[in-house]
Amino acid sequence: MPRFRLPTPSRPAALQSKAKRPAGANGPSGPVETAAEGGIHVVDWLDERTSLSGGLRWMMFRKVPKGTNWFYTLGSATMFAFLSQAVTGIFLAMYYDPSPTRAYESVRYIVNDAFLGEFVRGMHRWGSSVMVILICLHMARTFFFGAYKYPRELNWVIGVALLILTFAMSFTGYLLPFDQRSYWATIVGVNINGTGPLVGPYLSDFLRAGPEFGATTLSRFYAIHMMLVPGLIAALMGAHLYLVAKLGTTAPPWMRAEREKSLIEDEV
Amino acid sequence: MNQLEKEEYLREYALLKAKGKPFFPYAIAKDSAMAVITLIVIILMSLILGAELGPKADPTTTTYVPRPEWYFFFLFEVLRIIKPPEFVPMATIGVPTLCMILLFLLPFYDRSAERRPERRPIATAAGILTIFAMAYLTFLGANAGSPNEIDMAPPADLKGAALTEWNQGRLVVAQSGCLACHQIGENGNHGPGPRLTHIARNLPAAAIAQTLRNPTAPMPSFQRLSDTEPEKFNAMVQFLGSLK
Amino acid sequence: MSDKHKKSSPYTADRGIPGAFEGETVTRRRFMNVTAQGLGGVAVAAFALPALGFALGPVFERTKMQWQDIGPLSDFNEDEYIPKVFTIVNGIGTAGETTAYVRLRNPEIDTEPEDEYNRVIAISTRCNHLGCPVRFTPAAGRFLCPCHGGVYDFRGLRAGGPPVRPLDRFYTRIEDSRVLVGARYSVNSELKRFSPRDPGQPVDGIGQYLYPARFSTPEK
Repeated sequence: MPRFRLPTPSRPAALQSKAKRPAGANGPSGPVETAAEGGIHVVDWLDERTSLSGGLRWMMFRKVPKGTNWFYTLGSATMFAFLSQAVTGIFLAMYYDPSPTRAYESVRYIVNDAFLGEFVRGMHRWGSSVMVILICLHMARTFFFGAYKYPRELNWVIGVALLILTFAMSFTGYLLPFDQRSYWATIVGVNINGTGPLVGPYLSDFLRAGPEFGATTLSRFYAIHMMLVPGLIAALMGAHLYLVAKLGTTAPPWMRAEREKSLIEDEV
Repeated sequence: MNQLEKEEYLREYALLKAKGKPFFPYAIAKDSAMAVITLIVIILMSLILGAELGPKADPTTTTYVPRPEWYFFFLFEVLRIIKPPEFVPMATIGVPTLCMILLFLLPFYDRSAERRPERRPIATAAGILTIFAMAYLTFLGANAGSPNEIDMAPPADLKGAALTEWNQGRLVVAQSGCLACHQIGENGNHGPGPRLTHIARNLPAAAIAQTLRNPTAPMPSFQRLSDTEPEKFNAMVQFLGSLK
Repeated sequence: MSDKHKKSSPYTADRGIPGAFEGETVTRRRFMNVTAQGLGGVAVAAFALPALGFALGPVFERTKMQWQDIGPLSDFNEDEYIPKVFTIVNGIGTAGETTAYVRLRNPEIDTEPEDEYNRVIAISTRCNHLGCPVRFTPAAGRFLCPCHGGVYDFRGLRAGGPPVRPLDRFYTRIEDSRVLVGARYSVNSELKRFSPRDPGQPVDGIGQYLYPARFSTPEK
């Protein structure tokens, strides 16, 4: 059955929406437009002096092959967990005191008295577990998809270094609350390093800052946990990301490109 | 991978990439969704599990049973099952270092061009095996009890005074350190002593008592316990005699 | 190759470098190159070496052995271990304390030669597998480690599990019927004394050379 459509009657002039017009010669015509112009000016000013837009465009608008799925988000999720650890860690450091006589009390203050203290410490504590799980899943994905193969060998090596540094983070972070579990885990961990032949005895003295657990052992672990390892992780993460952008995200191994006829003929 | 395979891969990848979508906003959208999920999980864990602090570190303790964070359980279990003292440096330094080197060098010894997991049976099997081994070691490590506690249910037919004595015997056995060398059910260490899980099938209670008083070395004698505190000794014998 | 790149002569003039002086062997470019690398190296070393030395310092620091009173001689006997708490690291409160199991020397079982330091036997509670706290179990007469299954007999010798050497001991002295306890020392399976090692480091056979004494061993 044919359908008939009546033409929509035109609205009265008073109700018609007016198209926006860009600002004319006499400048922006309202506060919103002024603000937008201002923003554009700032970005332009920055870009004129840094030329960052080229790099950003290279990073953000590079193509990701067809077929990439949720497994490919594990790496960025790991990075996000690291950022969350960094931020919560900075706030915990505002209250924490790395001295063997006061460390436990300062953590107890964070957990019991500080506003949102238990929540922030909980995020930092469980965030470490989440980060370990995510980095292991990310590595498993890379392994099973064969994504460590040519040309991405170097990125795999950096990734393994990041995995080891992540475990170093969780190990050095362990001691800081200075409860029983922290203390004995650290004793065992330091002694594990001490079982290396020839260098072991000096290595464990170095980690402990002396022959026994002493006054500066905690601050040594704190400095390693706070600055040394996170600095290395951030630097290596930058290199890891640069290589991902440079070499491109891998396609799932089962994806095959459809060749155009003309290309196949060319190959012969 | 030879030069031909390398070029083949690069060509294939270039074609796939050309068919792909820009990183922003398509991949970023997924990444952001995953980031939100990650953060929600962390926040929920923090809210539900909290951040309780254990008792303060006490280097003078002789009763604390140290256990690591869950993601070090596998290493803890490796240290527990590698018993001979000569192999300790191998368990502490050797095995972890070897694993790290193998992991670092993976792209340099696995040089085949194939990337599909089902066509790389050795790599895929090794990966799955590693995951299962780690999971199993973590499970064992998580369930490693204290050597001073026995966690098991009493036999169903025990009632009243016999049950009390059984429980007391369980306590005495646990606190006498039997589990350091023997295994009772899921508790204790494998060796050097024999498993005691079904000891009463082979030995009657009188023989057990005799062995406790006059053991073969290196097992220590419980003669003194039987002289000074016979009721504890009898409870011990009754408990061990119930392990059928 | 042209004459310009001939490296045979040490003189820049002979190598045909434009603007070369008589008897000159180093070009300006080469000089600047060496300066840049040399000064850069010195600048890095100037902050890296002191920082490294600063971090390594404690490895070479020696403390003085101190004697502490842990009670009258009458507190102890030959048949049972009495746990005693004393300080091994000063200035950090309870975190610097440790426990030792103390008994009197019993000539019937203690076969190692007697001297002024072992009339009272003080056994450390650190397991010599990886340093967990061992506990003495009177009923079995054994020291048990709760971590990885280490077992030691009444004298602290290894009876089972992974520990690599017997339990460490502390020097003890009797002065005016009071028992004083000093620094820790390690023993091998014949109870011969060695400077204190960390747990997990054997001192039998080749072990004493693979795990040498540390610079931080306390002074007597």
